[in-house]
Amino acid sequence: MNFSQFMRKPIAGIVILAFAFSISWVPAHAAMVSTDEILTQSQGNLDREHLRMLLDRNEVRIQLEAWGVSSEEAKARVESLTDQEIAEIAAQIDQMPAGGSALGTLVGAAILVFLVLLVTDILGYTDIFPFIKGK
Amino acid sequence: MPVPVLRCGKTGISFLVLLVTLTVGCAHLGPERYSPSVSGLPRSVEIPSVPFYPQQGHHCGPAAMAMVLQWTKADVSPLDLAPEIFTPSRQGSLQHALIAAARRHNRLAYPMKGLEALLIELAAGHPVIVLQNLGLWWFPRWHYSVLIGYDLSKDVCILHSGEDARRHMGWTRFMRTWRRADYWGLVVLPTGQLPASADEQSYLSAVLGLEQAGQWEGAAKAYKGALERWHSSLGALMGLGNCRYALRDLAGAEQAFRRAAKAHQGSGAAFNNLAHVLAEQRRYAEAIEMATRAIDIGGPKKSLYLQTLHEIQAMAKTRAD
Repeated sequence: MNFSQFMRKPIAGIVILAFAFSISWVPAHAAMVSTDEILTQSQGNLDREHLRMLLDRNEVRIQLEAWGVSSEEAKARVESLTDQEIAEIAAQIDQMPAGGSALGTLVGAAILVFLVLLVTDILGYTDIFPFIKGK
Repeated sequence: MPVPVLRCGKTGISFLVLLVTLTVGCAHLGPERYSPSVSGLPRSVEIPSVPFYPQQGHHCGPAAMAMVLQWTKADVSPLDLAPEIFTPSRQGSLQHALIAAARRHNRLAYPMKGLEALLIELAAGHPVIVLQNLGLWWFPRWHYSVLIGYDLSKDVCILHSGEDARRHMGWTRFMRTWRRADYWGLVVLPTGQLPASADEQSYLSAVLGLEQAGQWEGAAKAYKGALERWHSSLGALMGLGNCRYALRDLAGAEQAFRRAAKAHQGSGAAFNNLAHVLAEQRRYAEAIEMATRAIDIGGPKKSLYLQTLHEIQAMAKTRAD
């Protein structure tokens, strides 16, 4: 396998991207202990954990971009999250709820769904319809 | 909203009743009662200083965040926050986007869970952003609201939600919608103020987020706040030192690391970081002494402490040459 074939492999691309990205995360002083290390009491292979984190960060950033977030925005969001938070997101980004209910978005839902939700609304299990404002 | 015309026969209705029973019954049989085991709560609370923004489209996330950020005296509108929080093709806002946005405006974002913490925060005068699933598990409608109070005698909570300011919602209904979102809540505070329900580890992790976002001043203030409650917290002292170091306040960093080393004599990290700060002030003899202390303590980071010692020895040598 020559070098260009190697470069086409997505994993290699991600690793290289991750290293390019890593410039912004180099600690101020190489042998200082960061607050993160104090809080997480990480004892394992720090270099490997660091690389894993960079890959996760990149993955989350790429996913946000794929969802229509601009690349600067995606970068800024990811940079404001701790390693632990990034790991949580990377583990389950597809299942994360996105809060965004607009009022009146039920158009097109089946009549059955409408009725079920109407009844559960009246019973106080759900809160879908603005015209049912009972306690 | 076009409402579908309903023509339901008897069979339809019994099927519907069955389906509702299954849907609701599967999750939880019988009425849900909330029974907070917190004593000494006021009977009713309302935080009047939380402004209200009606939600535009799917933008309940930016609206909720704007309300709490304005309450903390940050001057931002839902429109300013939309690009920071909203995720277009998910037509909604992810919880972590809210957390990140608070930090980018130099505010502490403290995620919390459960009714007790919620009541404690409200009683302390802190509004709480909550994630709800207004629909059902198989038909979710995720939604952010801002809890601004409650009235135990009327059995209601008070929230800014959607297009309603100060909506009174029965606790039972609220708890059902909140449970489906795993009782997730977010407290947003000016740096230096502590959530009333905070525990040390969770609070320090939240402050670490400010550090990660590069808000060194805010994070330093928040660590100082932590030291008022947990006087000799190693995490808070080290965090404070690291923030001051990042701000190039070497004397301040030295003071924090010294305090950490004094209170936690078994922490190699405290001596290690102290050594660095001393070396940068060209106090090499003291720095070498501290680095040696760190190496003597050892532990999993011993190789890092050895690296520190070598760096300082090299610095001292260049200086002497």
